[in-house]
Amino acid sequence: MNGSEVQFWSFVTAALLMIIGIYAIIFMDNIIKKIIGVMLIGDGVNLVLITEGFKPGGIVPIISEKLYNQSPGIFQEFADQASYSLPFALVLTNIVIGASTLAVLLGITIKLYQHYNSLSVHEIFKEEKI
Amino acid sequence: MIIEFVLMFVIVASTLLALVQKDLMRTVIIIGFQGLGLALLYQRLLAADVAVTQAILGSALLPGLIAVTVFKTRRSQE
Repeated sequence: MNGSEVQFWSFVTAALLMIIGIYAIIFMDNIIKKIIGVMLIGDGVNLVLITEGFKPGGIVPIISEKLYNQSPGIFQEFADQASYSLPFALVLTNIVIGASTLAVLLGITIKLYQHYNSLSVHEIFKEEKI
Repeated sequence: MIIEFVLMFVIVASTLLALVQKDLMRTVIIIGFQGLGLALLYQRLLAADVAVTQAILGSALLPGLIAVTVFKTRRSQE
């Protein structure tokens, strides 16, 4: 087991999360479970981005004081060893946007329940058809 | 190395377990475990700042929001 194997199985985990999320959105009857499916797809996308920036055997991209005092060419060495940190900014934004989207979806769910008195998609569409 | 695989198993298993529950409060609690496992996996994948944010949001705030929604609507799945 080495680092690139971790990367591969992390991609597999992200793919499973997205597959389960799409399944939950399409086939689950309850609206809250559909919203959890939306959340799972977002988590899968975040995990893909983070795994893309992962470097096997690397270090966290933070310069500690010990690392800074070690040697003169430290920044080159740091850039060689540190994991790729552009996806982190994307994922941080995506996590916060995902939380806001989830809050809006849950608010709409509460209003939907007050109107139809049910959370089942089957019930809601049956009532609308009549 | 074994920690990552355990965390991946926890993430996928808790996702599947959360979606098959009939009681929605159990779903909320198990989704909290999924967010916590994801945060620890981010830490192991060398993304420390993302791990901190995910630990706060994924294991406390989002399950809290879903729990408030469940309390305001119906708890059991019909």
